Amino acid sequence: MSIIIDGLKYLAYILIFPGFLFCFLSGLLLCGIDRKLVARMQKRVGPPILQPFYDFFKLLGKETIVPVTANRTVFLIAPLVGLAAQVVLQLFIPVFSFNAFHGVADVIVILYLLLIPALSVILGAASSGSPYSGVGLSREMVTILAVELPLVLVLLSVAKVVGNAMGTGLCFSLTDIVNYQLTHGSLITKLSMIPAAAAMLLIIPGETGSHPFDAAEAETEICEGMLAEYSGKPLAVYKLSHAVKLLTMTTLFVALFLGGIGGGIERAMMTSAIGGAFCFLIEILILFLLCVCLVAVCISFVHAVTARLRIEQLFKYYWTVVTGLALISLVMAWYGL
Amino acid sequence: MFDKLITESMGKSPWLFHINAGSCNGCDIELVAVLTPRYDAERLGFKLAGSPRQADIVVVTGPITKQSLPRVLRAISQVPEPRCIVTMGSCPQSGNVFRGSYSVCGPLSKYVHVDVDVAGCTPKPEAVIEGLATATKILMEKRKNRKGGQE
Amino acid sequence: MSIQHFPICAIMAYFLGAFLIVIFGNNRALRNIIGFLATATPLCLLIGLVKPIMLGTDVIAYWMGNRVPAGGYAIGIALEVDAMGLFFGLLIATAVFVAMLYSFSYMSHDDNEPQYYTLFLMLCGGVMGFVLSGDLFNMFIMIEILTFAAVALTAFRNTANGALEAAFKYLVVGCIGSSCILAGTIMLYAQAHTLNFAQLAAFLPGKLNTATVVAYALLFIGFCTKAFIVPFHPLAADAHGAAPAPVSVLISGVLTKSGLYGIIRLTYILFRVMNLGTVQFWLVFLGSVSMFVCVTMALAQHDFKRLLAFHSISQIGYVLTAAGLATALGISSGLYHAMNHTLFKGLLFLCAGAVLHETGTTDLGKLGGLSRKMPHTTVLFLIGAFSISGVPPFNGFASKWMIYQATYQKAVESGNIGFLMATIVALVTSTLTLASFVKVTQSVFFGQLPKEYENVKEVSFGMRLAMGILALLCILTGLFPGFVTTYLTEPAARAVFGANQYINAMMGSGYAQGFGLADILPVSFEAAGIWSPISWLCLLMIMLLAVAIVAVSSKYDQVSALAKTAAAAEAAEAKAGPRYGSGALAEGKYELFFGGEESVYSQVGGDDLFWGFKHNWRHYFSFMHELHSGIVNDYALWAVIALALAMLYAMIIL
Repeated sequence: MSIIIDGLKYLAYILIFPGFLFCFLSGLLLCGIDRKLVARMQKRVGPPILQPFYDFFKLLGKETIVPVTANRTVFLIAPLVGLAAQVVLQLFIPVFSFNAFHGVADVIVILYLLLIPALSVILGAASSGSPYSGVGLSREMVTILAVELPLVLVLLSVAKVVGNAMGTGLCFSLTDIVNYQLTHGSLITKLSMIPAAAAMLLIIPGETGSHPFDAAEAETEICEGMLAEYSGKPLAVYKLSHAVKLLTMTTLFVALFLGGIGGGIERAMMTSAIGGAFCFLIEILILFLLCVCLVAVCISFVHAVTARLRIEQLFKYYWTVVTGLALISLVMAWYGL
Repeated sequence: MFDKLITESMGKSPWLFHINAGSCNGCDIELVAVLTPRYDAERLGFKLAGSPRQADIVVVTGPITKQSLPRVLRAISQVPEPRCIVTMGSCPQSGNVFRGSYSVCGPLSKYVHVDVDVAGCTPKPEAVIEGLATATKILMEKRKNRKGGQE
Repeated sequence: MSIQHFPICAIMAYFLGAFLIVIFGNNRALRNIIGFLATATPLCLLIGLVKPIMLGTDVIAYWMGNRVPAGGYAIGIALEVDAMGLFFGLLIATAVFVAMLYSFSYMSHDDNEPQYYTLFLMLCGGVMGFVLSGDLFNMFIMIEILTFAAVALTAFRNTANGALEAAFKYLVVGCIGSSCILAGTIMLYAQAHTLNFAQLAAFLPGKLNTATVVAYALLFIGFCTKAFIVPFHPLAADAHGAAPAPVSVLISGVLTKSGLYGIIRLTYILFRVMNLGTVQFWLVFLGSVSMFVCVTMALAQHDFKRLLAFHSISQIGYVLTAAGLATALGISSGLYHAMNHTLFKGLLFLCAGAVLHETGTTDLGKLGGLSRKMPHTTVLFLIGAFSISGVPPFNGFASKWMIYQATYQKAVESGNIGFLMATIVALVTSTLTLASFVKVTQSVFFGQLPKEYENVKEVSFGMRLAMGILALLCILTGLFPGFVTTYLTEPAARAVFGANQYINAMMGSGYAQGFGLADILPVSFEAAGIWSPISWLCLLMIMLLAVAIVAVSSKYDQVSALAKTAAAAEAAEAKAGPRYGSGALAEGKYELFFGGEESVYSQVGGDDLFWGFKHNWRHYFSFMHELHSGIVNDYALWAVIALALAMLYAMIIL
């Protein structure tokens, strides 16, 4: 009996929260808010907030063209794998105290899981045989290379700081990192974590491929790059997984640096069952609002005020400025600040 | 219901693909002007797509020169169904001042079914938006009709 | 036959096979049967040893002619199999078996096949003898056998461009390495008056003088040449570029392992110097440098096999780094990665061989779009590529993940920021590896198909079977890391730290304690992180299913129906009105978008795919380009310099 209940519980996690449905709704919503914000910053009216939903459903209704040069199987399966991996990744990131699947993956695994959606886009693009896709995937891969180093440093310094505080020396478990913050306050309040948080803010637009780090999908020069040959449903799936990526990166930031915000609610949750459910909803709401704030700061604002960087400028920027920030953080964490 | 959702969405998120078939660049600039803060076609969901594979509406400008004709047709054919073809400016409709030139083989309607013509040299942005909005409606119609024809 | 005789039979099977093929080799069927038996027998024998050694922590000591030690001195020739030796033996036997299966069809178009199989089995016998031997001089002999067999096999296709040159380079530098080993052996013999490994291991620790320290440096450099650690990496690139694919599997999956085995034996058991921070630094530094230098060299390659060769050394760098940590987790993860390296690197080389077999070239600039012609090879290649780049849930990820944990833990425990740098280098190298395999995927299997490869076919079943076995192992060892660590790498790691048991098994119990040797380090395999591939995979599958159901089941798109009606409408249009040509709109619809142009062959790939990265590192790359002159004199000079530095460093620290 308990197995069935557990099974249903996990199925609910996978399909509703924080799985598929939550990702679908809030990812696309975040995307819409981003577009609206950019428009408002440029003094435009902007598309309706539900615009990404319209785009998604419209693409579902369009014809899917598979070019003759493409490897049909890879071309059609790659987007699905990418989306699935992206949603699975979302399952592993705790929402304050709530963690659907703990004991499955730590931060290093998450670092690698972040690669899978990007990799699936790359493989899908490569399989189409288009030279535009070729250029796009080359740039995407360089972007990944550029972002990976600072991201590694950020994660290592977080692991070190939490490990120092817990007395184990290092801590890779995201659940432990969040739990530590629930009792000791958010990590961003620590001096050594401020540069890391800044670096992470700069990493988010790079990971999600938004301005000015969108050399990989520059629609005006290389015809959307990797997506040049995609149409209809696979394109819809890509757009969706891109939207979920926004959500994932921002919730990851929340989990790493702002995890303490849920602390108060946590204590309220202890008191009663109904209050607990209510608090849980509030937690989700707070998480979403934080994500919106992060998107506003590091995606919309940056998008509105910058122009696209060339790919080698992008690489240089990440391996100097952002890596420098993360490195400062790591050194400070190493010496226990 | 799901089908209705798709049809509704079809009318709310038309993506444009712009083909210059030997235009003087006047219409091209006006098309971009439609997306600027003053007119902001994005509030209607319009967006410039980089590749014909992702477009719903093909906007053709210019008098269809001999050189560009096969390319135009090829690019149009690569747009997935349902699609809408809009000509912008007088050139693709009549040839405008280029009419009769040895190198011009317009109008476009000789080769493909054109859904909307936006006349003018160049058309005002308001007219362009109007034309695109009409094209969007036709797009929805096409979606519905395809479906109806199916059943 | 008692279990005592298994190791010697395993070695003999290879050599016996080699001699039988010389005699009966002209008959194809007979030759294949002998080759199959000669490689399958040792594999079975070694699997038979798993139970007593891996699970029961036995150590098998076998004295040839039953000349057991007398008066505390080992006179006879000994074989000794502990868990680490067996671990490497199993790797070797597996790789060799698969390479043999592959050879049957791959080499069937070559001349001199009997000679090929003879050399092949000599090489295998040499490596197997090396890892199972309990005698330093025997190790040297085996190294000589395997080096010369490898040199001959490198030049086997001596009509191929650069084969003789590669073999010559390998011969020169390989002989420098072998001479080092011989010189080291002699010096140790002069000091300790014995060649038996166990006895040496009892004598040497704590009794280091100038001669033994120099011997240590000589042996270390000798084993480094076998493992192609930086600065010996250019040899591997040349050798792999020229050798037939199954031989590449042997060189990368088997021969480099013997070098690693030698290094681990030397540092952990023979000299027991791994408790010194300076020696740890030495190994970790060499490992990290190999990792990074070789992965960047690989990024600059435009030949499939040369690229794989550099990756091979880059992965060996991971193993060496992990082995240099001197922690139980480090050794365990290093051995795990060594195993994975054999599997995925073998798979990748076989895929490169398949491409070469069908198209006749491995130049990334000329290939493209093969995935539609060779779908199975593509899938197998992708499995190998994902494994080596450490994409979960394949095996490369599991071991790399353990290596990151181990290096970071070591950094935290020792407070030494250098180990932290090793973690960072390892993580960045992993991404660079991924990048260069994306390049290969795009340049060889995806992208556009050149006209001349229109008639390329999928390779034969035998070759696919060999690749399939390795791919399956890659997936299994990735999905069940707990199983692998419990039954394979942890016993082997315990053996690495259990030098006393190794000595006592051979020289009689209490022998090691008689020299006042204590067991070395506490053994703990705990990792800080969590990774559970099965549950992750389950989640991914459920999610994929959900997504796929949503994507496929909805009948609202009617792709084909739409296309049909569209075609009908166009046909109607064509009838009704004047048209440009016939069906102007239908043609070109499913071809690539080229800005409206006719699609032409324009492959994006080759060697400069990641110029955004290389541009920023251009000074480094041009420096490396100048350094790797391809002149054998330079490489010999590097070997000598490396030897001098190793001696100097060893003198200072020991």
